[in-house]
Amino acid sequence: MLVYTARRLAVAIPVLLAASVLVFLMVDLSGDPLADLRLQQPPPSEEVMAAAEARYYLDRSTPERYWLWMTGIGGNGDIGLLQGEFGPSVRGGAFDIGEQLASSITVTLRLVTAAIIAALGLAILSGVVSAMRQYSKLDYTLTFIGFLALAMPTFWLGALIKEGGLWFNQTTGTGFFYTIGANSARVSNMTNWEYFLDSAGHLVLPTVTLMLTSFASWSRYQRTSMLEVLNSDYVRLARAKGVPNRVVVRRHALRTALIPLVTVATIGVVGIIEGVVITETIFQWRGLGYFFIEAVKTNDAFAVMSWLMLSGTLVVLASLVADILYGVLDPRIRYE
Amino acid sequence: MQIRKKMLGAAAVGVSAVLALGACSPPQDEGNGGGGENSVTWIVNQPGGGWNHNSNEGGSVYVIQMLHGVLPVPGFWSPEGQWEWNTDLIVNTPELIEGDQVSWEYQINPDANWSDGEPISAEDFIWQWKMTSGDDEICAEGCNSRGSTLGSLIESVEGSDDGKTVTVTLKEDAQFPGWFTFGADGLYPAHVAVAEGIDLDTADGMLESSHFFNDAPLTISGAEYVFDGTPALDGRTVKVANEEYWGDTPDIGEIILEVNTEEGSWVPALTNGEVQGAAPASWSDDVITQLEGLENVEFGVDSGGSWEHLDVNMNNEALQDEALRHAIFNAIDVQNIADRTYGEKFPDITPRTNHVFSTSSEFHQDTITEHGHGAGDADAALELLEEAGYELNGDTLELDGEAVPALRLRYTAGHVAREIISELIQADLSEIGITAEIETTDDLGGTLAEADYDLMLFGWSTTPDFYGSPHQYWHSESGSNFGGLDVEEVDTLVDRTMNSSTPEESAEHANEAAALVAEQAYVLPIVDTPAFYFYDTSFIDGVTDNNAQSRRALWNQHEWTAVN
Amino acid sequence: MSEMQSRIAMSGGGPENPEQPVAKGGDLTQIQIIWRRFRRHRAAMISLVLLALITAFAFLGPLVWQWGHTVNSDIPSNAGPSWDHPFGTTKQGNDVFAQTMRGAQQSLKVAFTVAVLSTVVGATWGAVAGYYRGRVDAIMMRIADIFLIIPLIVAVASINGNVRGGATWYAVALIMCLFSWATIARVVRGVVLSLREQEFIEAARAAGAKASRIIFRHLLPNAAGPIIVAATLLIAVAVLTEAGLSFIGFGIQPPDISLGKMVEGARTAAFTRPWLFYPPGVLIVLICLTINFIGDGLRDALDPRQTMVRR
Repeated sequence: MLVYTARRLAVAIPVLLAASVLVFLMVDLSGDPLADLRLQQPPPSEEVMAAAEARYYLDRSTPERYWLWMTGIGGNGDIGLLQGEFGPSVRGGAFDIGEQLASSITVTLRLVTAAIIAALGLAILSGVVSAMRQYSKLDYTLTFIGFLALAMPTFWLGALIKEGGLWFNQTTGTGFFYTIGANSARVSNMTNWEYFLDSAGHLVLPTVTLMLTSFASWSRYQRTSMLEVLNSDYVRLARAKGVPNRVVVRRHALRTALIPLVTVATIGVVGIIEGVVITETIFQWRGLGYFFIEAVKTNDAFAVMSWLMLSGTLVVLASLVADILYGVLDPRIRYE
Repeated sequence: MQIRKKMLGAAAVGVSAVLALGACSPPQDEGNGGGGENSVTWIVNQPGGGWNHNSNEGGSVYVIQMLHGVLPVPGFWSPEGQWEWNTDLIVNTPELIEGDQVSWEYQINPDANWSDGEPISAEDFIWQWKMTSGDDEICAEGCNSRGSTLGSLIESVEGSDDGKTVTVTLKEDAQFPGWFTFGADGLYPAHVAVAEGIDLDTADGMLESSHFFNDAPLTISGAEYVFDGTPALDGRTVKVANEEYWGDTPDIGEIILEVNTEEGSWVPALTNGEVQGAAPASWSDDVITQLEGLENVEFGVDSGGSWEHLDVNMNNEALQDEALRHAIFNAIDVQNIADRTYGEKFPDITPRTNHVFSTSSEFHQDTITEHGHGAGDADAALELLEEAGYELNGDTLELDGEAVPALRLRYTAGHVAREIISELIQADLSEIGITAEIETTDDLGGTLAEADYDLMLFGWSTTPDFYGSPHQYWHSESGSNFGGLDVEEVDTLVDRTMNSSTPEESAEHANEAAALVAEQAYVLPIVDTPAFYFYDTSFIDGVTDNNAQSRRALWNQHEWTAVN
Repeated sequence: MSEMQSRIAMSGGGPENPEQPVAKGGDLTQIQIIWRRFRRHRAAMISLVLLALITAFAFLGPLVWQWGHTVNSDIPSNAGPSWDHPFGTTKQGNDVFAQTMRGAQQSLKVAFTVAVLSTVVGATWGAVAGYYRGRVDAIMMRIADIFLIIPLIVAVASINGNVRGGATWYAVALIMCLFSWATIARVVRGVVLSLREQEFIEAARAAGAKASRIIFRHLLPNAAGPIIVAATLLIAVAVLTEAGLSFIGFGIQPPDISLGKMVEGARTAAFTRPWLFYPPGVLIVLICLTINFIGDGLRDALDPRQTMVRR
């Protein structure tokens, strides 16, 4: 087990390194971080441009810049991923990429955790129900809802969900749902309960938006794996022995059928990351998604690279966890 | 049953994780107290880049809006474009003192203190001058300043009378009609930088102080409001009433600025009571349409802070023929453009008829109509062309039997209004047999600087202090005279525009220059980009937009009143 | 895992005669069998018809419709739906009906290009890796991993963000391909790994067939089932990704148009001018929905066991 984990880690590191080259080239070759500065009226003097180019290491060659970005050796002390420095932001000294990433993560984590838990719960429920009543009206309805959720662009869905929340507020006369931000501005003089309500009111609509796509695909997986288990020999045997249906489902079928979902859900991180970018824009959360879009829009090369590396690392970690969990949960699998 | 328990356990862990995430007690920030009373939340539609509005990163309207009410200002433009002194801070009426060199004097209110108790003094004016001087001896690397004409013309700023009297002297022979705008975006507390151990008398120290003010927000204030907690350039800025302010306390005790880049979320948030208003820097028909259906919401549209125009590249061989340029300008129907871009939501929109002044300006003179520019008169254009030896052969315009080459018409990708304008121009030009190929650019600055276009559609910002603009647009040696206009008379006039002592005199020269430019058919003004603002009348009263200032409707935030 | 793979292999149709793996006649009957199974999937059949109609609307519609998708000064500004303009008009004077056709066309072009190109590259890559196994496989699949760990939409956004103005439909499609072929490669490799152990491959190898012949004539055709299903689903993913990209401002750029761009432009008009908001949005949902159902139907048709259960 440990050996296996270590070996998987050993493979993950070169993959991440190679990904860093890809990420770097992708961002580095495709844009000019100083475009905004050049665009300025009146145009900045040559000295200002030269100073800016030096500050952002644009006076170095591409391979040199990559080396700097990774190691920071030969830089001004503000660069070098391996030293925990993310590089200078073209948005000026007020914008520290590392700090901003850290504060964005805490915002996003809340949204992502809520969405994953909600999606998992609903997916298991609807997948199991669908499988047990295969080809019933309920199964078709749930399948159709799942397909519909998969077919809707997230931002379209988000707009509709937001309107739903507003409609709720107006009909009930309450102000429970909020449509922008992760929290109200004035939270420091709230009681714990008020703060909880405020957080929940901000959290619900984006969570539902972010959750639906994952829910849709996960419930399909859950349905398939549940079906597979229900048709398997050992479940048939249990049934033949006269074990009551409920017990068969709970004790024998569900547990086994959950295993593939664990893997799928962990790998689903990629989809969640995509969803976060769009959901945070619709609901104006200041999390990782917003960070990314602003970084791209301002041509902030080092910020985009850092972000992509962070998401890449998360994805690699997630698939690692999936592999390991798979082994832990499924007694049939033994690591060599 | 065992599995069931386990599942329940897992569910409980999950749920409590969410609860824990949401319900940990509210974060306490080291606030300046107060707040909560008469709170107004306002949208800022883009993030800021740095806390020093003089810097390259911080020099945006968004930052100026965030800093508004925290930095003291000597004066400001009224919505009508009149200059007004801030009588809370400046107790005299500064006037130009004629002498060997132009100078003027401020007398600072003796009660005017920063909220840490230090007086607002000449040192703060001196810092502002050094910061914008563009002189490497005073400020290393130009202090990363976004540049300022006035700052570079100042020879000295001196304090006397315990720093409460400030004398600004311009360099020899220098004049600047907009002298009074010095420090209008806000003064910084120089003593805070000094307390950090920065030596402001050295060039390197000044650069350091420029970064110091850029990197972190101020914790003190010299005006009605002070930041509460840590404001975020790309998030939320909370301003509460400054208890140490020597003037009147504002009725709105708390102003929260929320950066919100998604215009689709504005009106829902407004109706949901999450925000109370905005004066966005961009135009949106759909937001206005949504606002039209709402009760308790006041909104307005007016000509905003920039104007669109079509520039000709004088280096293009075909376009060197003045007759062709005039014909092109005549064929374009600017009224139609105005109607189809902004006309629906801003019916008052009219074609712009002067390069420097919009119609509402007191200095405005129509320099365009007499040439028939923008009339959309294809027949007149063809007549002009025929006189000059061109011939319309079917759908193609020909000169001496050769077709006039296709012209590349460019604009910034993603700019909705320019997209419309360019398509309309394309259609107009096809009527006189000229093919315009629309090509977008993602690098406006680069495209302009390299003059990589035949016809270019872009905007200039328009502020009441127009004095330097004509020089920038048209002087043969200006870096921003992209299309390469080179007329000696224009050069002389734009020099004079900048070197006048009064706005009136300056405007006269600016108008003469504009008339010459129209005669050359070099730039076709199209429209003033309109701007809109809106606010929730069930929360606040007294809001008016101010397109003469970067601060827009926030300009008189301290005069707003709360509605109960 | 292996059980499933062999099932897929079975469904791909294990040819009895390794020397003549995919003979013309046998192939037809194979397709006929699958088609018969597919036809029984009602939702998939309806979807197929619908998708065909949408495709015709997108590609043939513009040929017969009176208005083009570009600005026309004869078109009134901001008009509501009418017989002349069924979906109304835009401010600058576009016929939204014509725009919807053009938008659907561009979205479908992007989607099909992504699906076809990614499948060709991904299937080849995965088959080669699976066939050779060992070190070659390890290296090739690690390379694929690199492209898998960057989420599609952010990868395209970070490149497109900078080629704005130049982001035509094929640029968007090509960049999307760059980050989606690896998914297919993974699927195909899995299938090939189990296929290559089967007797007919052993036989081909024993008969001295070259690797390229085995891969392209034997392995890939027999992995057709899962490849087709994965490719189908990729179409839906591509349509949605393009829409998402348009929303955050990095999709196809004007003057060209796509469905995503249209919804993005009309997102604040959902309640003020719904005729701008709903048609392109519903079309996106329809395209993805039909494609997902077709994928589902194909999966059933190519997998005899599940069909048996259904009957």
